Amino acid sequence: MSIASTIVNGTPIFGKIFSVDRSTGLEEINAWPALMIMSSFVWLVVAGLLGLVMPTTQIFDLSTDHFYTTLTLHGAALTFPFSFQLMMGVGLHRSGGCVGKAVTGWLPALSWLSMNLGAAILTVAVLMGLKVSVVVMFPLPLVGAQMGVWSMESVIVGFTGIYLVLSCMILWYPLLVLKMMFFGKKRAELVLSERSLNDPGMLGMLLAAVTLILTGLPLVVVGTTLLLALYKILPMSLAAWAAEPVVFQYAFYLFAHNLMEAMALMVSSAMYATLPLYLADGSRKLYSEKLANLALWILLVTSVTSGLHHFITFYPNQPAALSYWGNIMSWGTGLGAAISIFTVLATIWQHGLKAGPGIIAVLVGWALYILDGASAIVTSNIVWTYQLHGTMWQSGHFMTVILAMSMMWMGVLYHHYPVLTGRKLDPALGSLYVKMFTVGAFGAAITMLAGGAAGMPRRFAAWNQEGWMIYGDLIMVFGLILGASFVVYLYNMMKSREISAPMGELARA
Amino acid sequence: MLDLRMLDYVYTGWGAFWATMFMFVPFALMAYWVIRRKSLVDTGPTGLQPSEFAPLEGIWLTFAFIFFVIANLASLKYIPWAAASASVNGEPEVQVDFTAKSWSYDISNRQIEAGKPVRFSGRASDTQHGFAVYHPDGRVLFTMLMMPNTAKPTSVVYTFTEPGKYKVRCLEYCGIAHHAMQDELTVVKSH
Repeated sequence: MSIASTIVNGTPIFGKIFSVDRSTGLEEINAWPALMIMSSFVWLVVAGLLGLVMPTTQIFDLSTDHFYTTLTLHGAALTFPFSFQLMMGVGLHRSGGCVGKAVTGWLPALSWLSMNLGAAILTVAVLMGLKVSVVVMFPLPLVGAQMGVWSMESVIVGFTGIYLVLSCMILWYPLLVLKMMFFGKKRAELVLSERSLNDPGMLGMLLAAVTLILTGLPLVVVGTTLLLALYKILPMSLAAWAAEPVVFQYAFYLFAHNLMEAMALMVSSAMYATLPLYLADGSRKLYSEKLANLALWILLVTSVTSGLHHFITFYPNQPAALSYWGNIMSWGTGLGAAISIFTVLATIWQHGLKAGPGIIAVLVGWALYILDGASAIVTSNIVWTYQLHGTMWQSGHFMTVILAMSMMWMGVLYHHYPVLTGRKLDPALGSLYVKMFTVGAFGAAITMLAGGAAGMPRRFAAWNQEGWMIYGDLIMVFGLILGASFVVYLYNMMKSREISAPMGELARA
Repeated sequence: MLDLRMLDYVYTGWGAFWATMFMFVPFALMAYWVIRRKSLVDTGPTGLQPSEFAPLEGIWLTFAFIFFVIANLASLKYIPWAAASASVNGEPEVQVDFTAKSWSYDISNRQIEAGKPVRFSGRASDTQHGFAVYHPDGRVLFTMLMMPNTAKPTSVVYTFTEPGKYKVRCLEYCGIAHHAMQDELTVVKSH
């Protein structure tokens, strides 16, 4: 039994949900993905509880310290060890089955370890007092330590955690994807659904991996320099350039923005791979693979530099030309989305759909992603960003993109779960999950966008003014529905072991 | 004749909300109709060939492209930098300098005359800060992002049209008292 299977089996509660099916001989593509997916759901529980604490502190007028602590932890837990790790687990499982290669060795181990150890270390730092939000807001960590708001030790611990998380996303995971795609021998017994790089279902995985490495490397250089200085291995005089706020912020945002775009590329590719499997006529073909690939390429090309829209209100320190560029490229991603919309709906119209909770979850997540995309391009327009930047609109956009991608991966997981565990899920519970998620996620997203339109600030521990609390109350209500939907999702997986016999060879079919 | 003054509303925060809904709601209704029809009502394949979708594909992508171009072109007039150029040709600018530090503002002039273009120029002295000016009715008029150690101050030109008390808030998270970083500008009638 692999180390990953041993860890899964030894984990209370979650271990039973994700225990790996070893009867099919597919443990080599099941074990590490199962461990990653299991770990992501542990973090989802943490993130969900913290998410509810935020409106609670505001509604019951609790200490603002609690708000900023949970703000930092909730955002970090939801984005990295939940959402990214879920994507990593399901994506690797899909890649393994598509190219017939094992997900084993030191790279998956390092990916899992750096993500979870890093997130745990960051959690410790936040509990030590470091409250810098999910985007760090450099040089706030150093300034807070200088002002005595938190300790320099918490900054060093926090940066260590962030560095480990980043190393997973920028190095280990993308290298693993590239290794699986271009190196090693294909093993026929591991091929579940063979795909080539011409297939949009695989192309997105490759584009995303390359995007993560290339746009993340400047941040790796800056982060490594700073970390070495914090540990006093490098004199601060040599690290001063990396500690310049403009240098850090541009390196950070050009990666962070493209991290979201890379995740979008991956999830779009997963949708293009999954949708054909549920077509009513069994044709297993998209309306147009060329159009689907074109959408991915447009998204890639436009998104790489569209991150400049994060600094539009920094004028003239960010020159107007770069802001116009960020504006135009952001709307260019909308053209990719328009092509994607046409491809998906034309495919369903042309071939019919065998609707089940998994594919409907994917499509609901995709619809949420379109809502998010619309809100994103609107707020990338120079004029609108001057009125929306820093408001709850941006939090709504960020939360929605994470939820949309997570929903799509959770839908794809419906398809993979029987292969991973040898058990089936209950469609009625799956359907209940989709309905509750739809109400909770769309409700929360639209409420947060409306709050931003009304001027409600983000990352702000005083909602009870200017009539903003109504948005806070609604966020709480929709957040509870959203949380309940995740409980239903997990309950469905827990229940599956009781109602279904192991599938054995059926999983391969 | 189209009343272009409606653009004054379109390019506000709520205008952004309705623009988002304008893009999303028709898509959501169409997606719901297609998915419901082809998974519950008439699940069979339509037998249509991709070539038969081509005209619709062309119309859809052309519409999306034209909408994107119009939405951005129409916004040019409202860009605060464009307003800056316009102000140079008209009224002389009133200069308001400020420094943002954790967690307060040092503002050179808190009383402003309506109708005169004001150039706000600001710097951050410790960490990142924002400078968002709110209309008395609660909406954001504009916001600015400042980082320490920049060569130039962050700058915007804005002309107030109504007298009143305008709140200033930091919209860039800057630590545990971020929510308390507020100030106020008073706009008075033009003499």
